[in-house]
Amino acid sequence: MRDISDRLDHPWRPVIVTVAGLAKTYGSVVALDDVAFSIRRGEILGLIGPNGAGKTTLFECLAGVQPADRGEVTFGDGYETARRGDVLFYLPDGIAPWPHQPVEWALQFFLNFFCGRRDLYDEIVDRLDIAPLGSKRIGALSQGQRKRALLAMGLLTPQPVLLIDEPFEGLDLRQSRETAKTLRWHASLGRTLFLSIHQTMDAGRFCDRFVLLSGGRARGEGTAAELAELARGRPGVTAPADFEEVFLALT
Amino acid sequence: MPSLRRPWIQLVGKEWRDLLASRAWWVMMFLVGPLVGVSFIGAVRKYAEASGLGGTSAGVGGAFSPLDGIWVPTFVAYEIAATFLLPFVAIRLVAGDRQSGALKLELQHPMSPLSRISAKALVLFAGWCLAGLPALMAGILWKMYGGSTYPPELASVVVGHLLSAGLTIALAAAVASIAENPSTAAILVLSFTVGTWILGFIASMRGGLAEQVARFTPEAMLDMFQHGLVQLGTALAALVLIATGLGVAALWIRLGVSARRRAFESAALVAVGAALVVACAFFHLSWDLSENRRHSFPEADQEALAQIKGPLNIEAHLAPEDPRRSDLENKALSKLRRVMPSVRVRYVSATSIGLFEQANTGYGEVWYELGGKRTMNRLTTEEAVLETIYGLAGMTPPQETGTPFAGHPLVAAPRGAAVILYGLWPAFVAGFGFLVLRRKT
Repeated sequence: MRDISDRLDHPWRPVIVTVAGLAKTYGSVVALDDVAFSIRRGEILGLIGPNGAGKTTLFECLAGVQPADRGEVTFGDGYETARRGDVLFYLPDGIAPWPHQPVEWALQFFLNFFCGRRDLYDEIVDRLDIAPLGSKRIGALSQGQRKRALLAMGLLTPQPVLLIDEPFEGLDLRQSRETAKTLRWHASLGRTLFLSIHQTMDAGRFCDRFVLLSGGRARGEGTAAELAELARGRPGVTAPADFEEVFLALT
Repeated sequence: MPSLRRPWIQLVGKEWRDLLASRAWWVMMFLVGPLVGVSFIGAVRKYAEASGLGGTSAGVGGAFSPLDGIWVPTFVAYEIAATFLLPFVAIRLVAGDRQSGALKLELQHPMSPLSRISAKALVLFAGWCLAGLPALMAGILWKMYGGSTYPPELASVVVGHLLSAGLTIALAAAVASIAENPSTAAILVLSFTVGTWILGFIASMRGGLAEQVARFTPEAMLDMFQHGLVQLGTALAALVLIATGLGVAALWIRLGVSARRRAFESAALVAVGAALVVACAFFHLSWDLSENRRHSFPEADQEALAQIKGPLNIEAHLAPEDPRRSDLENKALSKLRRVMPSVRVRYVSATSIGLFEQANTGYGEVWYELGGKRTMNRLTTEEAVLETIYGLAGMTPPQETGTPFAGHPLVAAPRGAAVILYGLWPAFVAGFGFLVLRRKT
């Protein structure tokens, strides 16, 4: 198994977000159950889980666009007294905001409204190949084009932590690779990325650390090596061959 | 170059773009021209007929006021638009962000929810003002025909319609924020409007509490302004209702707050709004802006009545649907309340129409009590009411000094109105709308 834990000296990276006891129910359905984990400065943290695991609910509760029933979200590393909106920005999946407006306008609106990273504008537009979409209406874009436009909006925001729901959803292989490179480049600038990904193998290759979510519960948190170690302690599991097996063992 | 514009201005700009991209708004703009055209052209023709067109010697419009003859009928178009078109425009603008997912992005800006809703309300209001252009054209045409205009009463009509639109926008914004689906919101807004009509109907039949409440329905408020009467209490009540509606909308766009908490906060806000509306009823200050002073007694009587101190109690034994009661109310008591805020009126009846009460002892009697003296008069005319009050107060009725309103009869055909309001306006809106919408696609 490819060990990616060396990329991240995580014990020395300061914790910027701590989540504790987060719970959310929809009627009798438990979407999140006592979820706890932390996000470290500058890492790419993957939220891994099957469809219906509660990933989107977790992101929305974290970002404050959906109320949680219980739980606490606290900030560190100099953001102790900051408001949630000053630390986190959440980019939902499957939305088509301002469908009648062109992409270029939407990006400028993001820059102006959220006081975004104007210095990164050209680079982001170039890396995500947004220029050909500039004059197109957001509502008229294909799924992949819309995803790229949304990613560009998210990358322009100034908050230190960016939550992206399914960043590779709707992208073809080439676009996925380019997007992965762009996200890695963005993280190298110091931005912390928290990505929800349901394709376990993709996540295993891309993220520094992981939070495994299944049935609304966090089943594990750590680097691939740490999770593999955790999985080895489970009954019937000896040496997981890859990250998928780790995931299956823990969830 | 970095933009220094504040986020709220950015949001207003975004809402404006959304309004321009809204087909609902363009449809409203398109339709409002012909609606005003039908109303205005019909009004000008009838005004001309009543003024003597078609062979009548003097016509019946000797005392005709453009307020009744032209402005009120012309602005009926805006009543229709505010009831059946504006809610859809407002719902589209408020609910659109939620449907597209844009709200989840925008909510992450630390701007207050009230600021967000105020940006939408401002843009909707501006959009409504643009829809007022056909009325402006009608006004210009009227002046070109040689028609008379009395600015204060026209201003009263315009303000009434602006407040009415504000109420519609606030209601639609509140409902669109609460309802999950825009079509549900549309049904709820129309249901509310129909509900106010039913309330007005019940009030006219039964009187009592329903009549008191019905005074604050948008229709009743508008009716007052349309007749040139501006009551401070009514205007304040309308503003309170608008603020309450927008406040509820602001509470409900906070997706990150639990529905229960939003419901409690909304209930509290509505309760405060209702209390303030009730408090507004105690503001009796009002202005009669009509040229013919229809809401006021003659100047001399106004001055004489103002000198009467003690409380005046009036008990009228008339059913709500008895035409004498509306005569008494509209021609005398409403004027009396303006000049004598201490007057207390009580209506007594056992039925709503009064038809089978006619034989009852006391039915039809109007009792007046002032300074310990009591008298009865069955007449419901302005003159009879004044005479009775002067008699009780021991005063001599004052001599008439002013000249009666002469009216502004005008025999004119609505030349050019059809071309402008049925042809040019819709063509302009359709062409401009097509260009704007195409540019955005």
